[in-house]
Formats: sequence, structure tokens, C-alpha cells
Amino acid sequence: MSDASPADRMTCILCPVGCELEVRRSGRGLDVQGHQCEKGIGFATEEVLYPKRNLATSVPVQGSETRLVSVRLSDRVPREMIFPVLREIARLRPAAPVRRGQVLIADVLGTGVDVIATRTVE
Amino acid sequence: MDGIETRDVVVIGGGPAGLAAALGAKRAGAEDVLLIEREKRLGGILNQCIHDGFGLFLYGESITGPEYAERLAEEAVREGIRMETGAMVLDLAPDRLLRVNARSGYRLIQASTVVLAMGCRERTREMIEIPGTRPAGIFTAGSAQNLVNLQNVRVGNEAVILGSGDIGLIMARRLTFEGIAVKGVFEIMPWTNGLERNVRQCLIDFGIPLELSTTVVEVKGRDRVESVVVAAVDGDLKPVRGSEREVRCDTLLLSVGLIPENELSKRAGVELSALTGGALVDETLMTSVPGIFSCGNVLHIHDVADFASHEGFEAGAFAARFARDELPAAGKVRVTPGVNIRYCLPQSLRPGTAGAELNFRVTRPLRGCRVTATGRSSGKVYFRKKYGRLLPSELQKIRIRPAVDEDIEVACHE
Repeated sequence: MSDASPADRMTCILCPVGCELEVRRSGRGLDVQGHQCEKGIGFATEEVLYPKRNLATSVPVQGSETRLVSVRLSDRVPREMIFPVLREIARLRPAAPVRRGQVLIADVLGTGVDVIATRTVE
Repeated sequence: MDGIETRDVVVIGGGPAGLAAALGAKRAGAEDVLLIEREKRLGGILNQCIHDGFGLFLYGESITGPEYAERLAEEAVREGIRMETGAMVLDLAPDRLLRVNARSGYRLIQASTVVLAMGCRERTREMIEIPGTRPAGIFTAGSAQNLVNLQNVRVGNEAVILGSGDIGLIMARRLTFEGIAVKGVFEIMPWTNGLERNVRQCLIDFGIPLELSTTVVEVKGRDRVESVVVAAVDGDLKPVRGSEREVRCDTLLLSVGLIPENELSKRAGVELSALTGGALVDETLMTSVPGIFSCGNVLHIHDVADFASHEGFEAGAFAARFARDELPAAGKVRVTPGVNIRYCLPQSLRPGTAGAELNFRVTRPLRGCRVTATGRSSGKVYFRKKYGRLLPSELQKIRIRPAVDEDIEVACHE
């Protein structure tokens, strides 16, 4: 790789294959290399320009022998929203029964993404 | 008939491999399948793995461990598989007689076939011999994961993580979410042991330092951990004198490797591999004891649950065939690891097997390399493939298309 065009090196995290990508800005777009499938281009573009993440945590559940119910987001949010969303989730105290996939917060912080339960608690 | 219970297929363990094995056996025509799970809840270690990234291969989407476990368990319930939770297999004899302590009491089960799917354990501080005091605050990464994700316990306030295995990386992010400062991840090897995607989204995202070729050489603190001393290591993994540095923390997490849990396999006389810690198997995943099969992390350590399940489906299907006497005894040709290969699995094939799927891991990161499978007597090349990059942390799968009727060696040349 030449020194003249510094590349952002990253590992595609869309699947466990983990392709090593090299991303260079070229004109108005991005030049991506190292991807083994088309998803790699979209990944690199998003990762450089507007990274997104899912997140998982767990919250106390009431009225069950099970102490916690685990939760995640229905889709990824901009990475900078991780901690604001976690603070919203920390306020949750759902009551049993909770169904897997049940929406516990709809459209959290206006992201268009829901907080959902990832397990069933009787 | 006397009172002894008989079963076509008994699966020991209800995690991603065991649930899949039970399903695989049922779908391959076994009528009478029994799965035995020690815990109250099916799913095994998936239940505490609340992060996403599971199911990409099995379900074609990224879901969390508990979701993956529930889905797989629901499939098993739908297909009428009998599953006993809160039941523990105390002993397994070579003739496949099981001694089981279940909720209903102690009983014997005579199985036509057994599928081992007991998973693995974590290596502990004692196994890596870190000097220093013996204070509270030292956890394996998985036990910390259980405490935080299932039991609502705060494990500490400032943590150091030794080892860059996937659970350690996942826990670095998890502790950060819980407001616990992670001071660093220290890895004795010059490369990371976890998947690259976990390095990026668990460490880099949160600015958590990863120091390679570095290890913990001392633990300090009387009642609770007060600090650890870390040091750089040389090419022989020995600490470099003068490089020591003290890192304040009250918690030390160990993510230093997993060991297949083969106590029962040993009782049954199953021959184990020194390279994998699991059973030696042929391409049907049958061990050295006829009628006993092995899959998932008890066989060898997998990177992702989906692959453990894949192996489970296969082992279950072959077990069903053995139970129907459709898998006659056969000789074997050996599959051995050559240069740069840490292990390959299965370790043997039935002579004449075509299309065999082989798993292997490399010993160190390799770039621009070529993997070959070569006949040891004829020199014939049965398989050849180029790779841009291979990492020890990534289990690889290849398929040997031609029929193999001699010992073969799998090697990787740069």
C-alpha cells in the first residue's frame, strides 16, 4: 500500500468471516478493497461515515423467580446513541410474564428502533 | 422385560450442540430420542450470552444467545423430542449404560447410541499459575458473565481482563455498559484470540486498550484485588524483567481458554486427542467407542454456536443411523496435521469416504498461504486452496471431494 493514499483498515463484522477491508476516500465516494461479498462495501461505507451498533443488556423483572430479562434493539442505532439508549433501558422494570420479542420501549429516543425482550420469562 | 429403560438415542447436554443433535437424530428417523440437561433451563451457555451475533448461519439473521436457545428448544418440543432438565448423567459405561440422577430419582438407561454434547469449561487462574495473593475479585470471564447477565450481581468497579478470548472481549463491553471501568485487555500471545469483529465492537468502540505480548505476573491485595502487575513477554512467552507495571483494579477477569468437558467420555473409555482435548472421531463423529458420538465444544472448541449446532445435527443424524444398524464397522485412514496446522478434525475417515468435511485451525496468523491435503503414501493432492489470511482464532472448514483411501496430511504453506 502506498503512503500517498492512507487507507482506513477495518474488519467487516457482519459475519464471523471477518474480511479485512481497506477503505480509501476517492472523490466523493469510497474505494473499498478486501471484501469477499457485496455486504462488505455497504459495511465499510457505513462504518466510515455513520457507524451503527446493536446493543444488549438485561433489566430486573418483577413477579418471577427469574431475576433478569435480557433485551436488545430491534435494529442497530447510530453508535453515539449507545449510552443514551442504555440509560433509557436502565429505567425498565417489566412485570412477568415477558415474551421473547415483546416490545419494552417502542421507538426509543426517537431512533425508530424498539427495545425488545430476548427471552421468555414466565 | 426387566425394568431397565431403553432408548435409541440419548443426547447428553442441552446446549446448541445437544439440542441440534436431538433434532438431527429425530429428523434422521430415530423414534426414541432423549435429551438430558443438567440445568433447569435448556440452552446451556447460550442463556448467558445475551449479546447478538448468533444465528447468522442457522437462521440467517443476527440474534442473541437466549433467542437462539429458545428457538432451537421450541423446534425440539415441536418435533416431540423428550427432554429432561435438572437431570445429570453420573456415569456412562462403554456399553452405553447411563446412570442418571433425575428429578424423579436415580435410574439406569440403556442407550443404543449416545451423543456427547456436554460443552466445555473455562481455564482457571490455577491452570495458568499466576503468582500473588488469593483475594476476592478474580473471575473467569464466563462466570462473571453469568453473574452480571443472569444474577444481577455487580462484580466490581475497575476491571482488568487477562486473555483476549471472545468471552473476555464480550465482557469488556458488558462491564463498560454496567459502568465498570475496563482498564485494559492483556494478551500473552502476539495476536488476539478472539474474533476480529469482537475486537472492533467490544474494545475499539469504547477505547479499551488491547496490549498484546503482555501478561499478568502478579495479583496484589489481601481481601480484595487491589492491583495487578503486568509485564511484556519475550518470544518464549517469558516476562521481560524491568517491563513490569502496576495497574490498579479490584477485579480480574480471565479469558484464557476453554477445555472440553470430557469426564463422562473418559468413564466410557473414549479415546481423547491431546490436540483438541476432545474425542478422536471419524467423519460420522463417532468416537473410538462404537455407538458413542461427540459434537460441539466437548469435541473441540468452536468460534460460534452455529458451527457447534451444525456438528450436532450431523452427529445426531449419524447416531440415528447407527441405532438402526445402518452404520457398519469400518477400518480407518488417518488425518494428521502437518506444518502450521494445530489440529484437524475428524482425525480419521472410513476408507473410500468422498466429500468429507474437515475442520482445522492454524498455529499462528498466516498470510498468502496454501492449504493442502496430501496422501501420505501416494503423494496425491486431494485438496488445495489459497487463502489471503488465516488466523488461529478462526476455525476453518474444507471439503475433500475425492474418495480417500490412504492416510492424509493437512498442511498450510506460506
